[in-house]
Amino acid sequence: MDTNRIQNLKNQAISSILESKSEKELEQARIEYLGRNGEITKLLSLLPSLKPEKRKERGILLNETKKTIEEAIKNQLSIINHQSSAIDSGWFDITMPGIKPLQGHLHLITQAIEEITDIFKKIGFTCRTYPEVEWDWYAFEGLNMPKNHPARDEWETFFIQDLFHPKYGETVLTPHTSSGQLREMERLGQPPIRMLNIGKCYRRQIDVSHAPMFYQFEGLVIDKDINITHLKGVLDYFVKQYFGPKKQSRIRPFHFQFTEPSFEVDVTCIVCGGKGCKVCKQGWMELGGSGMVHPNVLKNGGIDPSKYTGFAWGWGVERVLMMKYNVDDIRLLFNGDLRFLQQF
Amino acid sequence: MNIIILDSWLKEHLKTKASVKQIGEYLSLCSQSVEKIEKTDNDWLYDIEITTNRPDCLSVYGLARELAVILPRFNLPAKLLPLETKHELNKSEEELPLEVKITKPSLCPRFTALIFDKVVIKPSPKIVQERLEKSGIRAINNVVDISNYLMLELGSPMHTFDYDKIKNHKMILRESAGGEKITTLDGQVRPLPDGTMIIEDGEGRIIDLCGIMGGDNSQVDEKTKRVLLFVQTYDPVKIRQTCQKLAFRTDAASRFEKGVDPEGVMVAIKRAVEMFVENCEAKIASNLIDIYPHPPKTKTVDLKFNYLQQIMGVEIPQKEVLGILEPLGFKIIASSKEAIHCSIPHWRDSDINLPEDLIEEIARIYGYHHLPSNLLPNLVTEEEKDNLFEWINLAKEALKFWGFTEIVNYSMVSEQLLKNWEIQPVDCLKIANPLSDEWVYLRTSLVPSLLEVVNKNKKAKSKIFEMGNIYLPQSKDQLPEENLMLSGLLVDENFAHLKGFVESLLEEMGLVDYKINPYELQKTFYGKIFHDHRRAEVTLGKTSLGIFGEIKKSILERLGIKQRILVFDLDFNELVKYANHHKRYLPIPKYPPIIEDLSFVVPGKTYVGKIMEIIKTVNPTIKSVDLIDSYEQTRTFRVTYQDLNKTLTDKEVEKIRKKIIESLKNKFGLKLKGKKED
Repeated sequence: MDTNRIQNLKNQAISSILESKSEKELEQARIEYLGRNGEITKLLSLLPSLKPEKRKERGILLNETKKTIEEAIKNQLSIINHQSSAIDSGWFDITMPGIKPLQGHLHLITQAIEEITDIFKKIGFTCRTYPEVEWDWYAFEGLNMPKNHPARDEWETFFIQDLFHPKYGETVLTPHTSSGQLREMERLGQPPIRMLNIGKCYRRQIDVSHAPMFYQFEGLVIDKDINITHLKGVLDYFVKQYFGPKKQSRIRPFHFQFTEPSFEVDVTCIVCGGKGCKVCKQGWMELGGSGMVHPNVLKNGGIDPSKYTGFAWGWGVERVLMMKYNVDDIRLLFNGDLRFLQQF
Repeated sequence: MNIIILDSWLKEHLKTKASVKQIGEYLSLCSQSVEKIEKTDNDWLYDIEITTNRPDCLSVYGLARELAVILPRFNLPAKLLPLETKHELNKSEEELPLEVKITKPSLCPRFTALIFDKVVIKPSPKIVQERLEKSGIRAINNVVDISNYLMLELGSPMHTFDYDKIKNHKMILRESAGGEKITTLDGQVRPLPDGTMIIEDGEGRIIDLCGIMGGDNSQVDEKTKRVLLFVQTYDPVKIRQTCQKLAFRTDAASRFEKGVDPEGVMVAIKRAVEMFVENCEAKIASNLIDIYPHPPKTKTVDLKFNYLQQIMGVEIPQKEVLGILEPLGFKIIASSKEAIHCSIPHWRDSDINLPEDLIEEIARIYGYHHLPSNLLPNLVTEEEKDNLFEWINLAKEALKFWGFTEIVNYSMVSEQLLKNWEIQPVDCLKIANPLSDEWVYLRTSLVPSLLEVVNKNKKAKSKIFEMGNIYLPQSKDQLPEENLMLSGLLVDENFAHLKGFVESLLEEMGLVDYKINPYELQKTFYGKIFHDHRRAEVTLGKTSLGIFGEIKKSILERLGIKQRILVFDLDFNELVKYANHHKRYLPIPKYPPIIEDLSFVVPGKTYVGKIMEIIKTVNPTIKSVDLIDSYEQTRTFRVTYQDLNKTLTDKEVEKIRKKIIESLKNKFGLKLKGKKED
């Protein structure tokens, strides 16, 4: 009676117990090992014939094995019983509350970004992300906004202390995703470009519709023969995909230094459907800016404006999602209140 | 910048039958955005946002000029009425002296002044008062009101001085130096940054903060008899710099910094004369002083028609192009089938420089709403796929379905937060012009902000996570490293759950060969925030993928948190480098496994993970090792042996088992329970 034999017996017993599918099979397994003529019982009856020093050690091992097998039988029995009772008994109360798996919640911004990227991926845009802490050159100067240009006022900019590049200038927290335009031109070297740049932006303002940190998504298309009708087409496609097929978009003149012509894009008011209400301007809601890429910006990005044209837009992720989900204070998105976050 | 325009005032310059609603809509579609239209008494107010490139629209007359071109495009006849002036200049019998010196011509491209005598100070006529008040400017007296009224009507800011308060009748326009001061009209004493444009009277008395606000010492009051009227244009950059340095901006300054048309000055002067005579019973008492050394040359721009078509996407007949440009004030100097050469009206001098600018003019008046919408042609990119966004979504979705709520915190944190977490401010980027104390430094870890969320919500059990950049400063002329982190936090859970989430996430991302080891460093951020023994590092080869563990009590006490907090902090950029979808089919075993449980007595402080690692490496037939029980010094492992090609015999398993027992004994001094040592 060596220990390996005992170990092997235990292994066999446990595997046949685990394979048992009914009470009958389980009983057979019990008889085989623990019954009057069972394997373990037989070994136990041999114990008195062993030498005293071996008797004690084997006795402990055999008894532990017996206990383990008994335990395994008990467990398997409860599994079998549970299964059969659920299947067999006649009446069952299906109105008892279900036990739901615990589910979490994705942030509304994440949900919006997923939706937006899906829409643009379908028409060939590549998702990118660019630095949030950025040189003045990429955020302003290279975008045709020289220092001291009043247009810069629109971008209430945060500056970083003690960080300066001799060529690229001061450092800012990028106030818009447009800083990714030159970066993308530099990365690819030449058109075609179809970029969707999504990232955090920062501006020095806070109220119900402005947070010092927010997200933008920036589209940039540069290729041969790109014109305003393409810009209208792409934006209209987005508006219908994101807000619904009945929504219309329109572009109006606006001004940005880095686009010429520049536009403001409006979408049919989602509250009144275009009739005109308190929330909108005569049936239209402002979505954000866009325009044809300024030739100076193309030049700064190393692209020949006599060969290529392009358009760009940069809109707030929060703005579109707030319109869609009826959220009335942007700060709710960033204050970590689970009562808000767990609604979505 | 928004301006408010009265409908009746507009119609004084624009003859049209267009309704208020039509004006609002069509101006928005083709020029400046009308944000609101409000009724006031028998009149209407338009609240209009004027873009920075169109200072020419910052006036009643400027908008009338735009509308005169736009409305006819919608079949609404409209006519811009000429600005009539009856009074002639330079015929004054009197000649009150004024000596003017401009130290640097570039400061003031055009300087005009005119003196009036026998001025009677009284309230302005009712219509002037009413128009000012409705436009948001307080009426003061007939003289001061003239300058405000004409700024709104014509867009030229102007200023009036009490002529007798200017000592020696001398004006020196110069840049301030050496910390001078001025008391402005509003009674404020303003220290002047060097380089500020000012006017002094020759005796060092500063009487004007140029383009921004006049001096208190020379203002018109009820006793004023002689008035100096003053219409200038200034270097816009200078004005802007001063406004920024003083953090002070006036309506006039907002116009000057966007550029005021020097050619518009004369019209403003003439209108002012008219109003001085009519409203103040004044008499002209000097000839016009007009210092205008370099009148701008008329600019010209060329436009090729095929380029116009290339940008607009439709062909616009030449006739229509001319039909748009000419009413806008452009003069066609030459034209051919291919191109036009035209001059720019003086009021658009700063805005129009390039063919693209002309295209904008043509396109907006043609109407963007008339252009078709076209989707982009198909494009097949050969670019290699960047999977970052996919992995981000996968990780976030996984955590969501495991019960985590996603948080987005601000990237900026307070100094207090750094203190609480023993982070040195010098190790973080600092915002030079923060908005509040709450947001000053760029965070170098997401963990502290997650703890703040716990503190705010006071919820018993919760699981939250955030994915976002941290900002690690490099040298003084290098952008920081922006590292994408994935950090999660569990309230009142146990270590095994935390570890389980980390392991499952790594598995979801296709990572298998990672190792989890105790984290030993003391002086790092992680060393400081985690419990000395309950912290671990995930590594892959030599790369650290992240840390997880239980937050130290001392930190939690500082934050007033009583619950147990477990955190994982993963370097997501690194994870993505190794993440993959490689999954390969392994044949389903045909032969049954042998499963056995082995219990060992383990000496204190032995890592069970290492034991399991060793067991696994003993023999390739060991398919899995699970810890099924742990009680006091005993650890019970369930070992599964399986061979793909045959049924294992007891003998074969016995051999492997012996080897397991032996290596564990040698490595860690483990003893199999229930077996005497041989």
